[in-house]
Amino acid sequence: MSVETTTETAPVPKKGMNILFGLTLLGLLLFLWLLLGVSTASFWTPNNISNLLRQGAMTAILAVGQTFVIITAGIDLSVGAVVGFSSVTVAWLLQHGVPLWPAMGITLLIGVLIGAFHAFGIVRMGLPAFIITLATLTSLRGIGLLVTNGSTISISDESFTNFSRAEFLGIPSLFWMVIVVAIPAYIFLHLSRWGRYLFAVGSNSEAARLSGVNVNRTIYLAYILSSTCAAFVGLLLASRIGIGNATQAEGWELQAIASSVIGGTSLFGAVGSVHGPLLGAFILATINNGANLLNINAFVQRIITGVLIIVIVYFDQLRRRGSR
Amino acid sequence: MTGLYDVSHRHDDSTATTGKHPVPKGQPILELRGLQKKYGAVEALKPANITFLSGEIHAIVGENGAGKSTLIKLLTGVIRRTSGEVFWCGDAVQLANPNEAISRGINAVHQEVVLCRHLTVAANMFLGDEINRNGLMRKRAMTDAAQAVLNDLGFNLPAAALLSSLTIGQQQLVATARAAMRGTQFLIFDEPTAYLTRQESAQLFRLIRRLQGEGVTIVYISHRMEEVFELADRVSVLRDGTHVGTRKIAETNDAELISMMINRTIEQIYHKETLPIGATIVETRGLSGPGFEDISLSVRAGEIVGLYGLIGAGRSEFALGLYGRQPVSSGEVFWQGNKVHIRNERVAMDLGIALAPESRRDQGLCLNLPIGMNINLPVFDRLSSGLTINRRREIENADRQINDLKIKTPTRRVLASAMSGGNQQKIVIGKWLSHGAKLFIFDEPTVGVDVGTKAEIYRLFARLLEQGAGIILISSYLPEVYELSDRLHVFRQGKLVASHTYRSASHEEVLTQAIGV
Repeated sequence: MSVETTTETAPVPKKGMNILFGLTLLGLLLFLWLLLGVSTASFWTPNNISNLLRQGAMTAILAVGQTFVIITAGIDLSVGAVVGFSSVTVAWLLQHGVPLWPAMGITLLIGVLIGAFHAFGIVRMGLPAFIITLATLTSLRGIGLLVTNGSTISISDESFTNFSRAEFLGIPSLFWMVIVVAIPAYIFLHLSRWGRYLFAVGSNSEAARLSGVNVNRTIYLAYILSSTCAAFVGLLLASRIGIGNATQAEGWELQAIASSVIGGTSLFGAVGSVHGPLLGAFILATINNGANLLNINAFVQRIITGVLIIVIVYFDQLRRRGSR
Repeated sequence: MTGLYDVSHRHDDSTATTGKHPVPKGQPILELRGLQKKYGAVEALKPANITFLSGEIHAIVGENGAGKSTLIKLLTGVIRRTSGEVFWCGDAVQLANPNEAISRGINAVHQEVVLCRHLTVAANMFLGDEINRNGLMRKRAMTDAAQAVLNDLGFNLPAAALLSSLTIGQQQLVATARAAMRGTQFLIFDEPTAYLTRQESAQLFRLIRRLQGEGVTIVYISHRMEEVFELADRVSVLRDGTHVGTRKIAETNDAELISMMINRTIEQIYHKETLPIGATIVETRGLSGPGFEDISLSVRAGEIVGLYGLIGAGRSEFALGLYGRQPVSSGEVFWQGNKVHIRNERVAMDLGIALAPESRRDQGLCLNLPIGMNINLPVFDRLSSGLTINRRREIENADRQINDLKIKTPTRRVLASAMSGGNQQKIVIGKWLSHGAKLFIFDEPTVGVDVGTKAEIYRLFARLLEQGAGIILISSYLPEVYELSDRLHVFRQGKLVASHTYRSASHEEVLTQAIGV
């Protein structure tokens, strides 16, 4: 490694690259929309668009939380289970007469505690993130099933269930929630020092520690944010389906990870953004939505999604290598 | 002229491709004619004419970025040339890929060992060239053969041990034995001693001479002048991608070589000013911890305290203990006269201690993050107003350090991994200059750093001292600690065994104390 390697690469400013990649993804999303608009009659109907925004919204929020964790070179496999568990929690609390706002507050707080537990396992017990979050994935499903005795708890509070059907300025309220999460997430990750610390810990935690970064606190922060986002999605899901059910959101952790990775996050850590996973989530939602409209078999949809993940991430890798 | 050890079954075909007849000693074995490498518009290596003679030890010196790495990569087939010709044993060759280079008998031993740490020594030596019977590996045969080679080379190393159980120096020897085993006629060493202890270096030198005796041509790349003079027959100097010249070692001296490399004389490298010594900044009394025992020393404003010893003597461990990274089991630390308990790195930083750690790669830098972010990492709290970072101050701070330290980069957004060793060290230092401190601990600040950058770093020390700071300088490179330290402490096996004032002991004395003979 020497000076000539610097000059040879004509180093590409990182930020410009991110924006460029964001635009490529945006282009892909618009291209998909255009394609579906041409090939189906029902895609560009207000109904379908709101439906699409609702479908993508929950994955998008999960993916943003997941991205924080992946940037620190970790992984959070529990988010799907946290979503299901939170839907049970809020439904159970409402069933037992807890008023709506405290019930939602307690649910979010449980999300915070789950995240703190993950970080505790990683920092204090020295467990790999993969293991501790995999363990809570199965345990939380179990606790949820135990509480509900394997069935569902229906939610009678109409102001709660109406929320997911409501619209504001013609845009579904669920999509507004993406914006409510994304703006502070953007400020946190890209404009604040804590965001920088996430990148530093993901790149080289020892160097970060010797530079005075509180590595443990940073890890706590990342996992708490991810679990809290998941608990929040649990509230949205409970509102949308009107029940609490521990088996809901099966496999959503993979959707969230896929959205994040499609959005340019590196599983090796230290590379990622907020807009990337958002676009990734809506690309996935569009593929599912379009496949439904085109009457593609649901099983085939899954295959297509898998292939697309490989293709998109492969091209991302090529781009990175090219810029080296 | 085949390799030293024809233990491997495949050597019949490899020798078949390495030229029909051996080149007599002293005749050209590898000739570069107008060899050039361009990356886009940048000439990493300007057309060079260098002739390597069969059986010689040919040193190549030059600052980082002078084109040494480019030259090695061209010779080992890692990159392809832009223009020019290469003649191997008189024939024009392509050297289009690493396999072609290896099959012709050209091999390289790198500064950082590129072997598999989780395999045994024997498995590494035979990697890619295993002895098979009916598709199954013959482990025992390989271990025995490898052990025979190691014994014959005079290395006291077990072939059945895991590579990771050896020191880096021993791993380096294994890498060399591996190359020697494979019919190598032309062996390139890229700064092999950067991480070696003195004894390990001596062992490596014996091996190099022995290979030379067997007729192997050696190319030796090093920053250390005394090694070049100890080993080489001839030396070529590169500067800014240009081959400045080749000298017989008997007809040159280090002053001439250094001026060829950098246009600067040797007196200007070690830059020592006598400054008034101020009050004591830090004092340790009987400090003990993992890897160091009962260390009592002090640092005053305006002085450099050197810690010399072999790798593993406990100097870096002491530094990490003082900095709060490692727990301290007993002893006391006094900061400007007050007893302090440094629980963690943050406490150390807040007191005013800065640590440029031993390994840039593992401890110093976030390699896949931009230079600017690395520089600002310790000071993001200061660059923030309220919740967010002040973008303008962030940019200003990074650019100031890049300009002050002359870090060779077009912008602060380049990743730290793209920089040379010297520039990476400057980034680590820049990080602490922007933070500011009373006590700077520099642990091996010049490993893998070229002479020009070294001189810059030493001048920087003087600047810090003038501003009233104190410096702990940890180094395994004796001339450096010897020439720069106001007080020099020698470490051996975790203990402080001797202390000297500036130049009060001879090199030999200090070395003997460090080795403990």
